[in-house]
Amino acid sequence: MTVLHINRAGAASTVQDSGRIGTLQLGLPPSGAMDHPALVSGQHLLGHTHDEAAIEMAYANTEVTPDSSCLIAVTGAPVSLSVDGTPASNTEVLKINAGQRVSIKARSHGVYSYLHVSGGIATAAVLNSRSTSVREGIGGLAGTYLRDGDQLPIGSVNSDVITSNSSLPLPQSAPTLMLRFVPGFQYELLTEQAISSWLESEFKVTSRANRMGVALSGEPVNTGVTSLFSEATCYGAIQIPGDGNPIVLLNDRQTVGGYPKPGAVISSDCRRLAQARPGQRIRFVPCTPQEADRIAWLEQHYLETRLR
Amino acid sequence: MFEIGPAGECGLRLVFGAEPHAALTGKLLSIQHSAQQHFGTDLKDSVVGYTTLTLFFEPLNIERDRAVAWLEESADADTDEAFLAQLAARPVVVLPVWYHPSVAPDLEWLAEEKALSVDNVIDLHSDPTYFAYATGFAPGFCYLGTTSPKLAVPRLATPRSEVPAGSVALADQQTAVYPGPSPGGWRLIGSCPLKLFDLKAAPHALLTIGDSVRFEPVSESEFRALGGSR
Repeated sequence: MTVLHINRAGAASTVQDSGRIGTLQLGLPPSGAMDHPALVSGQHLLGHTHDEAAIEMAYANTEVTPDSSCLIAVTGAPVSLSVDGTPASNTEVLKINAGQRVSIKARSHGVYSYLHVSGGIATAAVLNSRSTSVREGIGGLAGTYLRDGDQLPIGSVNSDVITSNSSLPLPQSAPTLMLRFVPGFQYELLTEQAISSWLESEFKVTSRANRMGVALSGEPVNTGVTSLFSEATCYGAIQIPGDGNPIVLLNDRQTVGGYPKPGAVISSDCRRLAQARPGQRIRFVPCTPQEADRIAWLEQHYLETRLR
Repeated sequence: MFEIGPAGECGLRLVFGAEPHAALTGKLLSIQHSAQQHFGTDLKDSVVGYTTLTLFFEPLNIERDRAVAWLEESADADTDEAFLAQLAARPVVVLPVWYHPSVAPDLEWLAEEKALSVDNVIDLHSDPTYFAYATGFAPGFCYLGTTSPKLAVPRLATPRSEVPAGSVALADQQTAVYPGPSPGGWRLIGSCPLKLFDLKAAPHALLTIGDSVRFEPVSESEFRALGGSR
């Protein structure tokens, strides 16, 4: 079996696939790639069809060496890539020989990049997924972030590789990222004035942004809600704690919570938010569930067309 | 009295305007069970909370209006008697607890705060049979209610950065056992030697919503014999 040596892991690198399904009632978040389309495009480039896992790197600063030849692709936030010190294309499938050093460094925008290796990262699946859930200590190599010196098993290759480049480039983010959200949960409990002031305010992504969620700062939102019975959160839920600064809950969120939530950001904007760096300006725009369905459908169609 | 609304782009949330009680939890569990049968793999996941049931769908496979209509009908209908009988027939889960200051930093404080003896606190906590209203916070964590008003206590203003696994805890009129080490703001009054969550066991969680649960005081030697290692 091929082994991928992690010479330098980087600050917050984890093994991720599409995540777990059906574990919420157990109290386990779904986890999975923060930028799911980026994961899928890399799987496609390498001809992976079984949700093969990749290495998710936050602000990539990673170096790896395979012990036998393999193909790699990097997707998501753009990176500078070099092989044995020689710059290489960061948008194509590359053949790496045994013992070569692949160095991956984050560039000026985006947060999460994905290193795919032909055959996929073959750590043991837990509850049908290889995704790492660090808080719960499950998945990945040892339930935690990758560390310098780790050795990752790589699966056997049994697929045709698509050599032409069809990865999805991460667009430069707009000066103000508009987060579309479906109103719900405690939305009706907010006063009209609180809602209009919230929707007119501009927020900023803070440095408290990770796989659990992204904390924003701005004009505090007054929900007027003091106590709630704990209930399910969801992907994109806009949680407003006592200080009035919204936190958008993402892949490694707590599955239940008692803070008011006036709605949830749609999934396609969640991954844009995940890729936004601290300081990114944010506004919230309501949309109907029907609009959200249409956007999800269009994005899926776009992904399928681009990756055909 | 209930309402149905969206929970994000692919979720539906059913909420009852009532105080939590065992019959309501039974109803929510019964609707959750029917939803799993009715929607099959189109239902990706679902969560019962104190007064809510939230369903998450595979968004491209489901007609929202039909799902809402189904949920409305289910919420209106009487709860399936056979399902409730099954729930009531579940055996009481007994959790051994070593109530001792060496594993319970808030035990003596709580007794003093409430003008009780430590033995009174232990009796008040271990006497009732509790009901499991909700899960979450961490895998295996189960919210149990309702504790004696004499033990009602607010959470710590600043949560502890690490609460040891097995800690038996109180907050407001709820009690719970921390399954693994985690940060936590509940008051710690004992330690349970059993594993609350184990990926190698089936089912993975020792407690599940709808269970009846009792705490049983044990000595240090019993605690250690049962696997307690504090």
